[in-house]
Amino acid sequence: MSHSIPSGSRWRWYIVFFVAPATLIYTVFAIYPIVESLRLSLFAERDAVEAFVGIDNYKKLFTEPYWADQFWNAFKNNVWLFVLHMLIQNPVALALAAILSIPNLRGAATYRTIFFLPTLLSVVVIGFIWQLILSPLWGITPAFMNFMGVGKFFAPWLGLESSALTAVTLISIWQYVGIPMMLFYAALLNIPEETLEAARIDGLNGWSIFWKVKLPLILPTLGLVGILTYIGNFTASFDLIYTLQGGLAGPNGSTDVMGTFMFRTFFGFQAQLGDVNMGATVASSLFFIILIGVSVYLFGVQRRLQRYQA
Amino acid sequence: MRSNPLSSMAIHGVLILYSALALFPLLLIAINSFKSKKGIFRDPTALPLGELYSTKGYQSVLANGDFPLYFGNSLTVTLISLVLILLLGAMAAHGLTEYRFKGNGLLGLYLILGIMVPIRLGTVALLELFVKLGLTNTLTALVLVYTAQGLPIAIFIFTEFLKSVSGEIKDSARIDGLSEYRIFFEVVLPLIRPVIATVAVFSMIPIWNDLWFPLILSPGEETRTVTLGIQQFIGQYTVNWSAVLAALTVAIVPVLIMYVIFSKQLIRGITAGAVKG
Amino acid sequence: MATLELNNVVKQFGQVEVIHDISLSVNDGELMVFVGPSGCGKSTMLRMIAGLEELTAGDIQIGGKKVDHLPPAKRGIAMVFQSYALYPHKDVRGNLGFALRHAGMPKAEVTQRVDAAADILGLGPLMKRRPSELSGGQRQRVAIGRAIVREPEVFLFDEPLSNLDAALRVHMRVEILKLHQRLKSTMIYVTHDQVEAMTLADRIAVFRDGVVEQCGTPLELYKNPANKFVAGFIGSPAMNFIDSNVVNGCAEHAGQAVINMPDGDSNHAKVSIGIRPEDVRVKPDGILSGTVQVYEHLGGEAYLHLLLQDDQNLVVRTDADSAYRIGDTVRFDVIDSKLHLFGENGVALPRQLTS
Repeated sequence: MSHSIPSGSRWRWYIVFFVAPATLIYTVFAIYPIVESLRLSLFAERDAVEAFVGIDNYKKLFTEPYWADQFWNAFKNNVWLFVLHMLIQNPVALALAAILSIPNLRGAATYRTIFFLPTLLSVVVIGFIWQLILSPLWGITPAFMNFMGVGKFFAPWLGLESSALTAVTLISIWQYVGIPMMLFYAALLNIPEETLEAARIDGLNGWSIFWKVKLPLILPTLGLVGILTYIGNFTASFDLIYTLQGGLAGPNGSTDVMGTFMFRTFFGFQAQLGDVNMGATVASSLFFIILIGVSVYLFGVQRRLQRYQA
Repeated sequence: MRSNPLSSMAIHGVLILYSALALFPLLLIAINSFKSKKGIFRDPTALPLGELYSTKGYQSVLANGDFPLYFGNSLTVTLISLVLILLLGAMAAHGLTEYRFKGNGLLGLYLILGIMVPIRLGTVALLELFVKLGLTNTLTALVLVYTAQGLPIAIFIFTEFLKSVSGEIKDSARIDGLSEYRIFFEVVLPLIRPVIATVAVFSMIPIWNDLWFPLILSPGEETRTVTLGIQQFIGQYTVNWSAVLAALTVAIVPVLIMYVIFSKQLIRGITAGAVKG
Repeated sequence: MATLELNNVVKQFGQVEVIHDISLSVNDGELMVFVGPSGCGKSTMLRMIAGLEELTAGDIQIGGKKVDHLPPAKRGIAMVFQSYALYPHKDVRGNLGFALRHAGMPKAEVTQRVDAAADILGLGPLMKRRPSELSGGQRQRVAIGRAIVREPEVFLFDEPLSNLDAALRVHMRVEILKLHQRLKSTMIYVTHDQVEAMTLADRIAVFRDGVVEQCGTPLELYKNPANKFVAGFIGSPAMNFIDSNVVNGCAEHAGQAVINMPDGDSNHAKVSIGIRPEDVRVKPDGILSGTVQVYEHLGGEAYLHLLLQDDQNLVVRTDADSAYRIGDTVRFDVIDSKLHLFGENGVALPRQLTS
């Protein structure tokens, strides 16, 4: 960086004072580690010496059955997680936001406060709470389902290979629905009252105003929520799954995601030994996956949506 | 909309139902944490009254967990990180918006890159770095990582806000004879007070709740955060239901109290911030 | 109180030159208005005087002393901003006294000066309020008060009234005028509003594209504009310009000789005749005519928008008690001695009155 005035050659030290500390911490503890991880993914330990191996680690990750099976399993699970969040979490969030943004709704502030509350709690706490509630041992859920007359459908969902991932995802949705809700809510409030009045004068009613006026106007927020969901799925999902299902992401790897896979690869777990370079390779692959998503968002989705903004 | 009472009832029905869904699990845990093991299983939905009432769970939490220590750790890490994020973030945003210098635009872009690229992806190298620096199992390591993690969004929000503020007040301060440093501390900092709440919320929640970095960078007994402490405690006491429920309640209550006190500013901050973003 | 000298001032932003070699002097105690359309360089000039922008070339002197290397606070100036620029976290008293306290002035003196300024501006009852609790006009007054307490040699105003509504703007304009009469200090006032410029200024400097087109008293600019730009900018409604051919030393319109060219001027084939709306007389036997397109009645006076025979437009002031309909043909004369002539490059031609 050079902080020089175009016209003179005096150094303006105060600019350095303002900008340097943040840049330094950010560079050393955020950017450098990511770049260094990318570098490490191109090396491997041979006879206790680090050696450059090109893209061998990636080849290994994508083709050697031991690695590829885990990788693609985790990737597939992440995709399922993402799809469920997009299909359930975001529509529910939009519906709640739409209801909350009805003018003069009584108690709107209270509802809003309640809906957002789970978001603030630690994933660990939420995870354990739902583990207890869904536990056949305690019997809260079976009792409730009996009461509703659907008791025979109960199963220890978190323990079954077929349903564990979906159950975990639903818990995550329960916790995080507040965030997209707030984003939608803010976007809806941001629509000028006059636009809605104009629509009413044009003869639109509540439903058609929502579909034909409000929804197109908050499309950019929809895009933003989409990309945030995407990034969150690939990185933040670790906490919940590690808490609920442990590092092996059981049963039988059925809830394994990129986060837990990366954790196991790097640190090792039980019999498996940790591998720094393979851990870096998994992280870097994840980096590229996120990069692709972000690029699609920035250059495809966002640009097209931006046009709708006033 | 001037809607009829029927649809208004339906709307409130939906909202109350969802409120119940959001609150029920939390209330259930809190209620049962004050019961004996028998009470927990015999009648989970009853209030902890009469013979059901028991504080055994809390006693074992106090006896076996170092929760005051964990709270202290979490508080220390969260507060120091927060102060650094707010201060350094505001300084950087001010530097980027107020002064013309070469590479200004690029530096701004570089600093907000981290919003899109999660810092967790660098964990492998981060751990190696802290081993080299001798900072593993220290709160300092967590503070540094969380500060680096929180800066991009803070700089982004502050920058957006500062761009919308008239520059005349800073010129006015210059005419009043303030140095560039004092302009920041005496004029700009008070000016951005409204967005500080927003940034604080955005930064604080993920720090307080994080499991990943405490688990990897400072899992030692002395530096455990609440989140990690709970995770480890429950891992050990899976059969002691009273203790588990009490531990969970202990983890919820402080956040709940903070939320009730600050919910107005918090939600206003989030919606305002979201509008900007 | 002091004189202000601008000598060959140049300002470039990167490769773009926005102020081209401006020299100007402001007399002691004079209220000088910089006026011009947005982007003309008037605000940049003011900011350079204040020390908020650096000069690319030239120098600035206040009271005969070179100041362009001094920081703003050491130049003996005070500035009032368009957005008022009050400190939102300080009350009125805190805002007024901030610069003085910062400069290390004894507390008693600060209080005395702040009270004196508050007195002048009628801010007494508002001293404990924060800016957010004040109306626009009150904020503006605080901003002016903050300048007064510093007892500067030169006051700088940067479009101070443009954020106020119309009625308040007129009121504050009068207050600033009174303030100037009372303090008798040198003031520089930037505005894009020519009415403000005309009513406030001892002298006006008209800016365009980084140069001063003309500098003089309001009446000089009104009576003898140096070029078409100044002529069109000063006066409301604006001066009409009629394109005209020169035939036999006479500028014509629609075959009618309107005005004689200056003696000995033979190098113009085309000129613009400048006619102010107030310098036209409507009468039945007038030699010129046009069709009424719009008739604006303002109560005390009225304006006719005429379409002339060769499709040119002319705005004419007329009596309030006249009645016209769209499409009426109106005959009129122009007052020869008040007409202006501009060459094709826009520069005014010297006029010798022939009557």
